Amino acid sequence: MSLTNPPSSGSLSRRTATVGPGPLKRTVDDTYDARPSGASGYTSKVRVRDRYHIVGFISSGTYGRVYKALGKNGQKGEFAIKKFKPDKEGETIQYTGLSQSAIREMALCTELSHANVIQLEEIILEDKCIFMVFEYTEHDLLQIIHHHTQPQRHPIGARMVRSILFQLLNGLLYLHTNWVLHRDLKPANILVTSSGAIRVGDLGLARLFYKPLNSLFSGDKVVVTIWYRAPELLLGSRHYTPAVDMWAVGCIFAELLSLRPIFKGEEAKMDSKKTVPFQRNQMMKIVEILGLPRKESWPGLTSMPEYTQLQSMVLHRQPPHYHRGPNLEGWYQNCLKNGGYSSSSSVGTPGTDGFNLLSRMLEYDPTKRITAEEALQHPYFTNGGPVSGDCFDGIESKYPHRRVTQDDNDIRSGSLPGTKRSGLPDDSLLRASKRLRE
Amino acid sequence: MAANYWSSTQRGCWLFTREKLAESRDRLRDRDKVAHSQFPLPDQRLLNIYFNQQLIKLGKRMSTRQQAIATAQVYLKRFYFKNEIRYTNPYLVLTTAFYLACKMEECPQHIRFVVGEARGLWPEFITPDVAKLGECEFALISEMNSQLICHHPYRTLSELQTELSLGSGEVALAWSVINDHYLTDLPLLNHPHIIAVMAIIVAVVFKPTHPGGTFNSTPAQSAQSTMAGAARDGNGMNMLAALADRSGNGPPRIQKLVQWLAESEIDIKSVIESTQELLSLYEVWEQYSEKHCKELIGRMVKSKNLDK
Repeated sequence: MSLTNPPSSGSLSRRTATVGPGPLKRTVDDTYDARPSGASGYTSKVRVRDRYHIVGFISSGTYGRVYKALGKNGQKGEFAIKKFKPDKEGETIQYTGLSQSAIREMALCTELSHANVIQLEEIILEDKCIFMVFEYTEHDLLQIIHHHTQPQRHPIGARMVRSILFQLLNGLLYLHTNWVLHRDLKPANILVTSSGAIRVGDLGLARLFYKPLNSLFSGDKVVVTIWYRAPELLLGSRHYTPAVDMWAVGCIFAELLSLRPIFKGEEAKMDSKKTVPFQRNQMMKIVEILGLPRKESWPGLTSMPEYTQLQSMVLHRQPPHYHRGPNLEGWYQNCLKNGGYSSSSSVGTPGTDGFNLLSRMLEYDPTKRITAEEALQHPYFTNGGPVSGDCFDGIESKYPHRRVTQDDNDIRSGSLPGTKRSGLPDDSLLRASKRLRE
Repeated sequence: MAANYWSSTQRGCWLFTREKLAESRDRLRDRDKVAHSQFPLPDQRLLNIYFNQQLIKLGKRMSTRQQAIATAQVYLKRFYFKNEIRYTNPYLVLTTAFYLACKMEECPQHIRFVVGEARGLWPEFITPDVAKLGECEFALISEMNSQLICHHPYRTLSELQTELSLGSGEVALAWSVINDHYLTDLPLLNHPHIIAVMAIIVAVVFKPTHPGGTFNSTPAQSAQSTMAGAARDGNGMNMLAALADRSGNGPPRIQKLVQWLAESEIDIKSVIESTQELLSLYEVWEQYSEKHCKELIGRMVKSKNLDK
């Protein structure tokens, strides 16, 4: 390629951030070496290892790996660096075009700035890899929930749950008012700083939903980790809306209280023809607690693509609980009892307001499901005093720090086998099928 | 942000004054005066017309939506705001801008397909190696600081359609005026809603009055000729001023528009300046020669070995 890189001219200052921590640091202005014309190739002047000291490895997924890093050369603080692994064709790593999900995440994170959304520091494009540098967060909800099951179950305090939920909804409201769907909310993606601030993280599946050119459905067929997947998605809806994120928040709320996923279904795998199967088991888990969805209360139900599957579910197996009707309240009361939530205990209780909010998040009909904005106005938050912006406020015990391993400190080493991400397919699937077609 | 233009990077980082644009171009030129005298290029707008035509050709077989073409044009502007065109292979850059814009506007095309199409159009300038495009993509994203989300005036146009009860002919005309504004510096100079309002004014004021009369030609062409004519007669510049004076007496459509403009508190000065910019585009368009652009770019790329 003959794209030589003269020093960039304009000094574009990034917008001053409106909310949240300091403005994004500029990098790419200085990205280029001055080179004589005729030289070729892309080189980044900013090098990851010059700016960051990698202290360990955090996690991996289909997209690549995440490392913990410390700033170098006067740049203070801890960072999480997400490295997208390049496609490998043959032995050498080649430029093969960036995946659409990487492009989306880069573009969205660059624009976003909110106290409850993960803050991007900079993006470095170097050696055919993308490095997205984020602020480091010490905890996440998965880790916190897990901590409360060790060595034996002890509930997360009601005040803490309320603060977590409020901040989560606040971040989500920001995303939704900016036409961003997260699409993959789950405890592992809800990050918590050491000072108790909640940050919605991992926008790898996030998408703009303002008049998309292709329908949202055609892009990536399956989205959102199955336990947090909204019923309309399970029933094959092609138009999804911010309501899918609200369902996931409902599931997370329930999980914070019971310390177990509320709808822990088994995922039906895609068959060889790459058709998306009906997630019968997951739907059943929901029905066990919420009862069957009824067309009287969810008018759109009968036009759902998988409606016949739902009907066959009722006809073929008729365990008694199908006819017991909704029992979310029973589940909730049981959960409070087992967790020791009560107004007289030190744990406190989310009370009937909490139940009401939960039931409105786990509403079958997506058009009736509570929105992030409405949820923030719910009595659960407005009654019972102010909500703390520090979810650890008033908590004595400390949570363990994020596990950082030392076995892979070389951020520059080629592509390492990534373990399958617990989330669902990004468009690497789509690309694979495209390749097949060619 | 994504839907909030006011806090977007487009507004914060990619909006300039005319002076700033000129300054940056002067600086690029001063850095390598030899290349500039050795490889003269046509007026930037004529080059833009050429690039746009190439993008449309590229998009044709992939049935790409206009919005992706518009985004690609914005990427080209941003890239060449910071980089001297004489050090690049414009065919590769525009193909890459197209490929990236398609992904961003949710109508992705496979890299091999894009390279194949581009090679079909410009075999001398595009190698079959997809890695070249992939590498150029890195350069493009990097130069744009990963700020890839573009806000276009089309959205404002469709929002105002009902409010101003625009007819379908007017909307089509305004739409093509918006398409045309990507051939100028306007996307780097103005908020998208200013452009949308400018396009609406142009469409309403220059709307062919006899139905079926001038609609044989495309709306853009008719606007082009009408407006170039208006500019030559010297009354184009004063169009808006005249409009304002006529309030109360003009045709009801125009009256309504003028009233709306007055109430909207829109930056009317920028709207007028944009109209002038557009008019001068239509004037300069008359000098456009595809062959000439092609030759100059070809000579530049070939003699500097930029296609390798």
